[in-house]
Order: sequence, then C-alpha cells, then structure tokens
Amino acid sequence: MPALQLRNVRKTYQSGDTEIVALDDTTLDVGDDEILALIGPSGSGKTTLLSIAGGLLSPTRGAVIVGDHDITEYSAKQLTTFRREQVGFVFQTVNLVPFLTARENVMIAAELGGHANEKATKARADQLLDELGLGRRAANLPAQLSGGERQRVAIGRALMNEPQLILVDEPTSALDTKLGTQVMELIVNEVKRRSTAAIIVTHDTRMTHYADRTVQITDGVLAA
Amino acid sequence: MTLGLRELRRRFRKFLPTTAALALLVVLLLMLGGLLDGLYLGSTGALRSQRSELAVYSDDARDSVIRSRIDPATRDSIESVDGVEATYGFGVALVGARVPGETTIADAAVIGYEGNVDGVPAPPPPGKAWADRSLQADGVHEGDVVRVGPTRIPIEVVGFVRDTNFLQQGALWVEPDTWREVLSESRPGAAVEDGAFQTVWVDVAPDADTAAVARAIDEATGTTKTLTRQEAVLAIPGIKEQKSTFTQIIGVTFFVSGLVVALFFALLTLERTAMLGVLKAVGASSRQLVATLGTQTVVITALAYLIGALIAIGMTLVIPPQVPITLTASRAVFVAIGVFVAALVGGAISLRRIIRIDPASAIGTGT
Repeated sequence: MPALQLRNVRKTYQSGDTEIVALDDTTLDVGDDEILALIGPSGSGKTTLLSIAGGLLSPTRGAVIVGDHDITEYSAKQLTTFRREQVGFVFQTVNLVPFLTARENVMIAAELGGHANEKATKARADQLLDELGLGRRAANLPAQLSGGERQRVAIGRALMNEPQLILVDEPTSALDTKLGTQVMELIVNEVKRRSTAAIIVTHDTRMTHYADRTVQITDGVLAA
Repeated sequence: MTLGLRELRRRFRKFLPTTAALALLVVLLLMLGGLLDGLYLGSTGALRSQRSELAVYSDDARDSVIRSRIDPATRDSIESVDGVEATYGFGVALVGARVPGETTIADAAVIGYEGNVDGVPAPPPPGKAWADRSLQADGVHEGDVVRVGPTRIPIEVVGFVRDTNFLQQGALWVEPDTWREVLSESRPGAAVEDGAFQTVWVDVAPDADTAAVARAIDEATGTTKTLTRQEAVLAIPGIKEQKSTFTQIIGVTFFVSGLVVALFFALLTLERTAMLGVLKAVGASSRQLVATLGTQTVVITALAYLIGALIAIGMTLVIPPQVPITLTASRAVFVAIGVFVAALVGGAISLRRIIRIDPASAIGTGT
C-alpha cells in the first residue's frame, strides 16, 4: 500500500472576486519507502501540496489517503492527532522551541500526545540524538547549537514518533552547500534506514539525486 | 512539567517586567483597600459595635449623631412601642485630650453609653473610661488621667477596648453624666439636659419585625427618624463618599491590572506566532496552547500577589500609626480574587489569536 495517495486534489483560494488555483487536479502516489523530491519555482504549489499531504491544509476537492487513513474529511481535532502520530515535519526554518533542550524538542510530539511513557520516550529521544551525532548535546538549548545541529534536532523531532510519512520543506535553503549536502544525506540515510516514505520539497536541483523519484510542479500542476 | 512552566523557569527574565508591574499594582490595591478599611473601621467602630438593631435620631438631625437630641419624654414614647424590648442612650462629644507626658493633644471621642456594646464592658464609674486601643499610639496607658476639653475635665483610663472609634477619633467610653459634663463644657451650645441623649439604640423583641418597629417608633414619637444599624453607620459624614471614591479607584486599578496582563500576553503571542504555528503543526492542540497561557497567567499572578502582599505588609509596619490603614484578611482575599480574575480576563484576550493561528503557517502556504 502506498504511504500517500492524492486523488484528483484541487486547492483554491479566494482573493476578492478572483479564484486562485494553488493545486489543480493532482494525483500522486508515494511508495511506503520511497523518497520523492518535489521541485518547482516559487509559487508553483509545492508547499500547498506538502501542507495537504501533512494534514495542515484541507483540499477544496479530491481525496488524501495516508497509509490506511483517508484524512480528507477529518475534523481539525482529528487532523491534530493525525499530524502528531502519523507525520514527521522538517521545516524550512528550523523552528525549534527555544526554551526546550535538544532532547525535549525531540520529545515534544510524544509529550503533546500525553500518553507516552516518559522514561521510554526519553530513552528513544536520547537514542535518536545519538544516531544523529548529538548525544552530548541533548541538554543544550537551541541557542547553544550550531545551524547544522539545530537542523539535526529537527530531523530527530520528525522521526521521534516513527511516522508513516516524513515531509521536508526546503531543508537546505538556509544552509551553505557543504552543510546542505550533509543535512540532505542525513535525512535520506535516516529515512531509508527506517523504510519510511518522504517528500522533500526543494528548489535546489543539485539535491534531487538523493531522491528515488523527482516530480516537477508548475502552476499547481504536476509533471512527471 | 508543562511547556508553560518550562518557559517560565528558563526565560523568567521575559516575564519579570510584567510580574513586577503586577506586584506593584497588588501593593497599590492592598494599600488603597487598607486605607479604605482603615478609614471605614476607624470612623464607624462606635456604631458598628452596638448590639441593638435600631438607632433613633431626632428627625431634624439629618441622620447625624452630633446634631440629634432625644429627650426623656421621647424616649418614654419609644419604649412604649410594641416590639421595643430595651433602649440604650448614646451620645458623643468630640474633644481634644491631653495625655500625661505628651506635648501633642490627642483627638478623642468621649462616648456616653448605657451598655449593650460589643467588646465594651458596662459603663465605668463617673470620671473613668474604657479607652480605645488606638489611643495607645498617642501615649495613653491604663491608669493615666487624660484631661479633655477646654476645661480639662479629668478622665481616668481603666482599661482598653478595640475597634470602637468614631470619626477617626479615639473613643473614651464613659457613663452618661460624665459625657454630658464633657459635652456642656466643650460645646455649651450643644449641651443636653439630664436624662437626654443624642440618640437611643433599640433592641427589638425576637418575634417582632424590625422594619415595622422602626416605623411604629417614628409614628409614636412624631419627632424621630429610626435607622437600622447599617444605615446609621453609612450615615456618618463622609463614609459613603469615601467608600464610593476608593471603590472607583480600586476598580480602575483592577482594570489596569487586567490591561497589563492583556498587553503582555498579546505581545508575547504575537512574538511567538511562528513557534505556536510549529507546535500546532507537530500536533499541539489549541487547548494545550491555551492551557500553557493559562498556566503562565496563574503563576505570574500568584507570584506577583505574593510579592505585592509582602511589600504591602512591610509598608504597613513602617507607616506611622496615625495613618488609618488596616489590612484585613477579607481585603487580602478580595484583592487576590480580583487580581486573578482581572489577569485571567486579560490573558483571555490572546485566546482568540492563539486559536486562530494556522498550523499551515509553519511551512507557509500558497506557494
């Protein structure tokens, strides 16, 4: 079963009397251990697609199925739970919670769920940080970490709940080429090691070779 | 530990200015409330301490004890009314009192009474008085002979009572003839005949309706106006005005407290909109984020209240005893509840903004 299925998804916005089509009749499958690179110019609809896949936006029309969850008609509350348990996000700007340590940032989604065994959660967060090369930085606040370290913490946060789908938004845009390459390799390695599906939005075509498949989006329309 | 508590612990400097401002507002509220209570209690003790339910004034007195006169014939009429169980004469003379060993003259209220006063024993022998404890601040001790009025009538203090002052003047509770002597010597034009008083307090029979008895008294005498104890207290000159003025200032201060909290959390929410968007994106519900704000509001307010209360208590210890300020437990509870309500309402202003934060803002939409 594909990790993600988009079926004839359309997303429009109203701007005065004008209807803006951000995503038009989009159909896409992402395999359960596939890494898909989504590329396109600014304003092409790639972030909208990512937001719909992650339950951050609801489509105007069409169906969104993640694993065996059809989230198209989910309520806001159901989408919150879905995002917490089924999706891992890595944002363009790292956006760690500034007053939480690296370990606490990684644990945040599990803690928000409220039903986690704290000891087990902490052990898993420490294991993840170890794997990401941040074992000794677990107790540091984001302000005490470098840009690359912060990005790695964000990756740990995305992986923490063993999601079905990882959505990565422009992971290298704020990094220099060397660090961008390292972060990309890290994401790909971690995703592959866990056989998890991922969509990586990027405008940097040098990074697309890390993906199993690349899809171009222009004016809200996908082109293989 | 919740997110809110963690942020408070690790970034307390961010919350410090608001906590400090709120603590100062708590000081202001407690001091204003203390002054209001001090003025009220210090002006009304002599009437509040009466056990009787009704006070009878002459109808031309405009509800003033000092202006009122009840002669013996009128008192007989009062006592003849059904439902009147007992009556007690009462009168006040406001005078200066010279205290042994002191150079300044203490303000005193010489009160003539016939008993039935809470906390004040039966009237002492002529020339002796029960003194209110507040006179100790003027140097009065048990056994002292204070000299009152322009003719310096000697009155010996035989003991102390508390919370019985009248119009901020220390009470000296004396038997009626001593009071009449002091009144005629200090204000000859206001002297009263033997057996007369300024007002008469009335005990109502247990099975009688107090309001009906009050009406019956005024009908029977034709020259009196009967008030309940609480009406008599509020009729003391300045009491209503003081209460109204202070209550308005206190109300405005509560409003400002709410405003401080509202502005702080509105700015804080604005500043961390992006972070709240990310938290929503990774699975935080609006309820959890609102709870974070609520926790922070409660902790800040509790801390500010504690600091403010300690400062206020410290200030009352160094303020001269002549300043009529009284911190009561009920006032402290009232201010605590008021500040918490104001802070929670202020904090709630940011709820809508938090609820409306779009989780999609974490990655930006429309591109």
